[in-house]
Amino acid sequence: MKFRLTAARLLALFRTRRLEGELEGEIRAHLEMAELDALNAGLSPEAARREAFRNFGGIEPMKEDHRDQRSVRWLENLWRDVRYGMAALLRDPGFAAVTIGLVALGIGANTAMFSIVDAVLLRPLPFPQPDRMVRLWETPPEGKNPTTTFTFLDWKRQNDIFEALSAEELVRASVDTGGDPVRLSGKLVSADYFDVFGVKPRLGRFFAPGEDQPGAAPVVVLSYATWQTQFAGDPGILKRELMLDGERQRVIGVLPKGSFDRDKARFFKPLIFAPDQLNRGQHWLRVIGRLRPGVNLEQARTRMNTLRTALAPVMPAWQKDWRFTVEPFAQSLVGDTLRRSIYLAFGAVVMVLLIACANVANLVLAKGATRRKEMALRASLGAGRGRLIAQLLTETMVVCVLGGLAGITVAYLLLHAAAPLVETSLPFTADLTLDPRVLGFAAAAVMAVLMLTGLLPSLQISFGKLSASLNLGARGSSGSSAAVRRAIVVAEVAVSVVLICGAALLFKSLANLQQVDPGVRIDHVITMSADLPTDAYPTAASAAAFYQTVVQRLRSVPGVEQASVSLNLPLEGVDWGEFMNLPGARELLLVRVKMVDPWYFATLQIPIQSGRGIEERDRAGAPPVMVINEETARKLAGKWNLANPVGRTVVTYVPGYGPIPESRVNPQIVGVIRNERTGGLQAEIEPVVYVPFAQFPRQNLHLVVRTRGEPWIAMPAIREAVRQLDPHLPLGDVRTMEQVKAKSMNWATQPTWTVGAFAGLAALMAALGLYGVLAHSVTQQRREIGIRMALGARPGDVMSRTLRSALIMLLVGLAGGLAGAWALTRALKSLLFHVSALDPFALAAACVLMTLIGTLAALLPASRAAGVDPMTVLRDEG
Amino acid sequence: MFEQRTDVPYGTLDLLILKTLDTMGPMHGYRIARRIEQVAENLVRLNQGSIYPALIRLEEQGWIRTRWGTSETKRKVKFYSLTPAGAKQLNVAVANWERATALVARFLEAES
Repeated sequence: MKFRLTAARLLALFRTRRLEGELEGEIRAHLEMAELDALNAGLSPEAARREAFRNFGGIEPMKEDHRDQRSVRWLENLWRDVRYGMAALLRDPGFAAVTIGLVALGIGANTAMFSIVDAVLLRPLPFPQPDRMVRLWETPPEGKNPTTTFTFLDWKRQNDIFEALSAEELVRASVDTGGDPVRLSGKLVSADYFDVFGVKPRLGRFFAPGEDQPGAAPVVVLSYATWQTQFAGDPGILKRELMLDGERQRVIGVLPKGSFDRDKARFFKPLIFAPDQLNRGQHWLRVIGRLRPGVNLEQARTRMNTLRTALAPVMPAWQKDWRFTVEPFAQSLVGDTLRRSIYLAFGAVVMVLLIACANVANLVLAKGATRRKEMALRASLGAGRGRLIAQLLTETMVVCVLGGLAGITVAYLLLHAAAPLVETSLPFTADLTLDPRVLGFAAAAVMAVLMLTGLLPSLQISFGKLSASLNLGARGSSGSSAAVRRAIVVAEVAVSVVLICGAALLFKSLANLQQVDPGVRIDHVITMSADLPTDAYPTAASAAAFYQTVVQRLRSVPGVEQASVSLNLPLEGVDWGEFMNLPGARELLLVRVKMVDPWYFATLQIPIQSGRGIEERDRAGAPPVMVINEETARKLAGKWNLANPVGRTVVTYVPGYGPIPESRVNPQIVGVIRNERTGGLQAEIEPVVYVPFAQFPRQNLHLVVRTRGEPWIAMPAIREAVRQLDPHLPLGDVRTMEQVKAKSMNWATQPTWTVGAFAGLAALMAALGLYGVLAHSVTQQRREIGIRMALGARPGDVMSRTLRSALIMLLVGLAGGLAGAWALTRALKSLLFHVSALDPFALAAACVLMTLIGTLAALLPASRAAGVDPMTVLRDEG
Repeated sequence: MFEQRTDVPYGTLDLLILKTLDTMGPMHGYRIARRIEQVAENLVRLNQGSIYPALIRLEEQGWIRTRWGTSETKRKVKFYSLTPAGAKQLNVAVANWERATALVARFLEAES
């Protein structure tokens, strides 16, 4: 019944005109009949007519009552206000465009940013019961480590705690689908890997329990994206076989669309442990698990602690302080830096929205000042205050709703443009879309904007002394309204200054970072990765032969100056870390171990400080040698008082070829080189040791090529040279060293440019607000200015008066902004590199910038004020 | 001259209209007003116009419906009639009214 009533009333809203007509007809018929009856009763026509009207009662109050009964009154009013608001906007398209544009920008940027916040930080992971998903680590007192095969198997036995527990290992393999071989990243995982995520296959099945045991038939699961891109979504994919690194594999399943398509891994294979991998020395397995229902994190942690204590006797002595750690999977996905960057960017974009609101409110106020007369007239004709506020709010609402709709389009475009740029920095579970949650946020933001932009001007307009506006004074701007508008501009300037200060600090930090010497010459260098497939390169000797020939070939390519092979690129970390010591010494030194060929130092122009580099004579079978960086030399000098390490023999462990585990070696230190940055530019210099690739070969490697001209130009020839050597070896990740450097700085560049863009936007909006207020007050004061000029004021005086009022607003805003920056920029601390959060240079630069932008915005209205012609003005308005 | 007439008691007009339509069948606004006046025998003063807001209210509740017909003066007018839901509502309203009057009556007796 309730619904019916509402529906009938809503319908009535749209039938208003018809119902009015019908009522009119009924009244007329009623009166006629009453008159007829009265006539028949013997009254005179005149008296009959009077009698009919008298009995009927008041017609107009009845009509009003009728309207109230048949419709939801406020809805009717709303509809009228909306139409009125639309009409008002159409009459003033400039005002409409600016206000709607401001709201659209603010809402758009906020919605896009919220989509990131929601996807990364708020929304639960897109898997069933994600709070049961955990990551397991072995943790030294500082940091966290992957685990060893044996320890993983010990963990796996705790199956009353874990419903599923899987190790994962990133691999790459060349896939032969007929054309050029492509190299895909993949993961080796335990058979119950997908049970951890709780996903169901889109096609086929996932791994059966025995399929990760030695001797099982080779099978592979593909991600949805791989199925679509590499196999064109072939529905018969399950009947196909796949050549992965030359090994025939049966495709048994395809993953559902979604998160896994954003993961690096394009295919999944069972992780089958080789006999050589069964040990407790090699920390190589990243472990992910799903807790049994009812088991909480605390119980799992207690169990793992007990297990660690029980396993203490079999653990290496130097790991006695290590523990087992259980971390919620969601937490492991989002690093501290990312979390901070996202909060920072979101905070910045909210400030932009606030400024946009302030501007819209200001424009509405300015418009309102010119509408006081209209409002006063309506008030005197009996419109209630509530009605007037409602009308003004509705007009603002039209702006906000239109702006919000446009804003969603803006958000869509922004996400579309930004997703490819930021997606690699976000966890694979983050799906950047405009889903109902995000749209709900947009709607809430529109409501907030409406409250902020509508209420203040409405109150201002309707609570002022309206009657006064009807009188002649209405021409000038009202004092209190102007004061409010100035205060709003000051607040805008203050918020912008906070943002510009933040951006200035971040940019200074970025500049500092860029100036860090990477220790290598990065110009004219192109790099690519290659993995030697086991079937084609079964032995260490075959791999070593490849390194030598490929470098020789590359050097003969026209345009190539130098070429080399290395395990890792500069700035991208070193995969292998190991302890090193002097024979007989008890103390250990943790070093990163990097395999390089004899031309690596020359290609990247890393100078040799003493001794020699790695040379061609350091081949397999020759005495093992090692080159150390200065940092290692410094550490050695500190630890063992070793003034000149060259010539000393050390003890360390180096992994074997393929699945062969690391073994003890005694290389002789033959030289010291200058430090190269192995971690990011911001990272501490690590002690790194270099051993010859020929003596310690690996399957995964990078080619580093220095070219004479533009690196990209030489690339086709480089590809051709490699193809001549091995037509089945795909080259991946082709990047210049400049790009490698840029990528290593992503953590800093992305938040900096984001905040920078928002700060720029904020400054422009604040300038617009300042311009608006000044332009408006010049228009309102034309008469006053005209009189002043008639009395002898020069254009310069008039101009400086306007500029002075602008400067006062700017300065008050700057003071407020600096105070805000002082309070807020410390939140940036962890994202700043070698810059104090209160860096005076950055803060001063921010102030200068804001003053400049503000003054520019003030110049136009100031010059217009100076251009006022007293004669015209006085004649017009006199 | 002194008229001993009061307004229609608050909230009873709906009931009077429903009851009228129940006994008399479909009729137009003027007839309804006249019928109420006749039954009331000048006990109450009815502004005839006030039945129209009541009629639209009852129509929106779904208790009465309208059909176009022709009046005695050859005009197209709305004829109102009771719907099944309206008949049910009439029973409810009558029961309510009787309860209310019984309650008031009992109080008045007790006080005297």
